Amino acid sequence: MAEYDVTFIEREEREARFLIRGVTPAFANGIRRAMIADVPTFSIDTVRVIENSSVMFDEQIGLRLGLVPLTTPLGDFDIGDEVTLALDVEGPGTAYSGDLVANDEMVEAADTDIPIIELKEDQRLELEADAVLETGRDHAKHQGGVAVSYRHLQGVENVGERDEFADDESHIIRGVIEDDGDLIPTEDFGNDLTNRYPDTEVKVEDVPGAFVFHVETDGSFDVDTLVTEATATLRSRAEALTDAVAL
Amino acid sequence: MMIPVRCFTCGTVIAGHWEEFKERAREGDEDPEVVLDELGVERHCCRRMLVSHEDLVDVVAPYQ
Repeated sequence: MAEYDVTFIEREEREARFLIRGVTPAFANGIRRAMIADVPTFSIDTVRVIENSSVMFDEQIGLRLGLVPLTTPLGDFDIGDEVTLALDVEGPGTAYSGDLVANDEMVEAADTDIPIIELKEDQRLELEADAVLETGRDHAKHQGGVAVSYRHLQGVENVGERDEFADDESHIIRGVIEDDGDLIPTEDFGNDLTNRYPDTEVKVEDVPGAFVFHVETDGSFDVDTLVTEATATLRSRAEALTDAVAL
Repeated sequence: MMIPVRCFTCGTVIAGHWEEFKERAREGDEDPEVVLDELGVERHCCRRMLVSHEDLVDVVAPYQ
């Protein structure tokens, strides 16, 4: 097995930035795609409307409910499992995602402050909804990762002094740079290399096999779960392939 | 009608920020740029969702 190495640059519950060294571009893209399409999350799929006297149609409410991220304890459920949620709000007031009550306490709205519909006097919304565990491959509302991306780590090398009469132009760069083994996010110096290296000529080159991932989740689970589950799906598919071609 | 739950482009959940944004930047007199920065809405795709939104529930409610 190939040697690889992971360094975290930024690590929060729902957002992280980390560097992976020693992987091929194909493998880096494989992880990215697995995070988007292969890690399942719960999302409302079927809605049974009991009463809807709001200004929105049932279908519009159904769409909004489907987009609400639900906490997904992976490992306790299998793909295709269903959880039933109920919502009953009477106006005047606003129905929020936090008003959804599930029959399983492990599943609830990840953000409780999403307005579903504003209800006026004498308006009421009562419904029952089935959330199903599916992958992003099936429907985008099941994507756990949001804006998952990666870019090359960029090595910056000092190649001497800047010409005295050189144009005084900014050198804008985004991502993370590596200078003598130090990892520096470009936001630290206003994304402008001339702020960090004044009067110096620098050479910027992609570091081969080093990728900086930027991962956000919609709140269904934390970033750690998303990344480990994504790599696990890659592994399980690779093993399935090994078995399939074994003599 | 209501603020979309997620950003059309990247899929970040932005609906939860609407009420605070509306109170501070629309009804209040704070700079929308500062409010969005403080809410942590970073990308311009997500920012336009809040900046360009208009609530229509009050407009259609009388015709129910």
